[in-house]
Amino acid sequence: QHYPPLRALQASAALRRASDEHKKEPLTSSSQQHFDSPPAGHQPEQKPQGPRPSYTGQGGQESEDYESEEQLQHRILTAALEFVPEHGWTAEAIAEGAKTLGLSVAAAGMFHSDGSELILHFVSECNSRLSELLEKEQKLVQLGEAEKKPIDEFLRDAVEARLRMLIPYIEKWPQALSVLLLPRNIPSSLNLLTSMIDDIWHYAGDQSTDFNWYTRRAVLTGIYNTTELVMMQDSSPGFEDTWRFLENRVADAMTMSNTASQVQSTGEAVVQGLMGAAVTVSN
Amino acid sequence: VYQVFENVAKKYDVMNDSMTLGIHRVWKDIFVHKMNPCPGTVLLDVAGGTGDIAFRFINYVRSVRKRQLQRKLKHHQNLSWQEIFESYQKDGFNSLGDSQVVVCDINREMLKVGKQKAQHLGYSEGLSWVLGNAEELPFDDDKFDVYTIAFGIRNVTRIDLALQEAYRVLKPGGRFLCLEFSHVSNPLLSRLYDLYSFQVIPVLGEVIAGDWRSYQYLVESIRQFPPQEELKAMIEDAGFFKVDYENLNFGIVAIHSGFKL
Repeated sequence: QHYPPLRALQASAALRRASDEHKKEPLTSSSQQHFDSPPAGHQPEQKPQGPRPSYTGQGGQESEDYESEEQLQHRILTAALEFVPEHGWTAEAIAEGAKTLGLSVAAAGMFHSDGSELILHFVSECNSRLSELLEKEQKLVQLGEAEKKPIDEFLRDAVEARLRMLIPYIEKWPQALSVLLLPRNIPSSLNLLTSMIDDIWHYAGDQSTDFNWYTRRAVLTGIYNTTELVMMQDSSPGFEDTWRFLENRVADAMTMSNTASQVQSTGEAVVQGLMGAAVTVSN
Repeated sequence: VYQVFENVAKKYDVMNDSMTLGIHRVWKDIFVHKMNPCPGTVLLDVAGGTGDIAFRFINYVRSVRKRQLQRKLKHHQNLSWQEIFESYQKDGFNSLGDSQVVVCDINREMLKVGKQKAQHLGYSEGLSWVLGNAEELPFDDDKFDVYTIAFGIRNVTRIDLALQEAYRVLKPGGRFLCLEFSHVSNPLLSRLYDLYSFQVIPVLGEVIAGDWRSYQYLVESIRQFPPQEELKAMIEDAGFFKVDYENLNFGIVAIHSGFKL
């Protein structure tokens, strides 16, 4: 019984040959030996099984071939990011990115023409970088090499770090924000936003299991979004106005939560006083 | 097939308009829009005889290029008129941005009509006309960014050979696009469509082009043609990735797209 031969992605193989400076995922050796087999010559198949690798049969190898398509898209989008300041978040930037990888400009046709995928890719990359940063900091604290930061400072630093990643693309970022708000993109962009906020709170040490969980996330989302908007029209050197705004908002949030707990404890004290008075009166 | 098109070459465009009630223009516009070519794209239009796709491609690229140049100039504020003039000269007034179209057809008559149309409409740069067979293209490997075949692939005897040739001449990352009549799944619509195809179109053919049999052939070849999913499988067999199709008008026409990755 034989399986249809695998066709390794020609482009990936060509790229491997062409340039070694780019970091590429190495294809397995068996995919390599199929690279030279002509695409036309495949043996007749008993059942109408397309060349689309299935997850049965050769298992891991085929799933790697399948993933290469997404990995290639990933690479194209990453390469396209450096053209964004010039071309904006458009199919043109993706086309330029594809060109640097040695692919035809027509490869940009794989993505939507308004550049949504590029923006979503960028946001998810930023979120991953933020997670890594926070993880590293946490490790340092655990090893005792750094002090554990108070909550407000932690939140402030995390949001600042995340927003700083926008700085190279700040001119075209308003355009990106509007694309992210398109109905088609809202599920994905909302997803990315909430998972980022979740991440920050997780590393801040939040372990609440009650309604606090929601309020904390809502508050931080509000802080993040408003600071982002402030940053869009901030022209101060080094964005100091933005960071000051952020500081104030985080301080507000802290005060609010303190006030809330004060109100709660005051309320409890008042109730207890009333109860005592009632008992005294009844006696 | 050759003789059919020899007969219909001159009246091709007129027949297209009357058969499809002019909608074929919209289909072709949507087709080029889906391609979304940027300046610098090299297009191979196979079976593109009278040049419809080629002309639309050139128009599209020209307008994209204009916007590009405008954006570039906006960046450089406060330029003197001299500098602006020089920047235009430097780009050589490169209105096409190095984009090119090669129109390939098996039929000399169709190409002749196409060349005349181009002259008449004023398309001069970036166009070439080549005689060739889709099953055996006279081009080297890895040459083109986009390969299109609009309403031509059903006339190819060995579709798989044409697809393999398409794969060969495309650059890595290149795109295969195919616009073709396909199968209507909606039963009500398909009955109306059949009625129209078999009763009205050959009559139109006789009246306008004086040729009943060619148009009878045309309609029958549409019915013989594999449906969307089957064509998608054939394209995948030839080696293309990310193969997808989009139905226009409920399946009367479908656009298939694949990438050489």
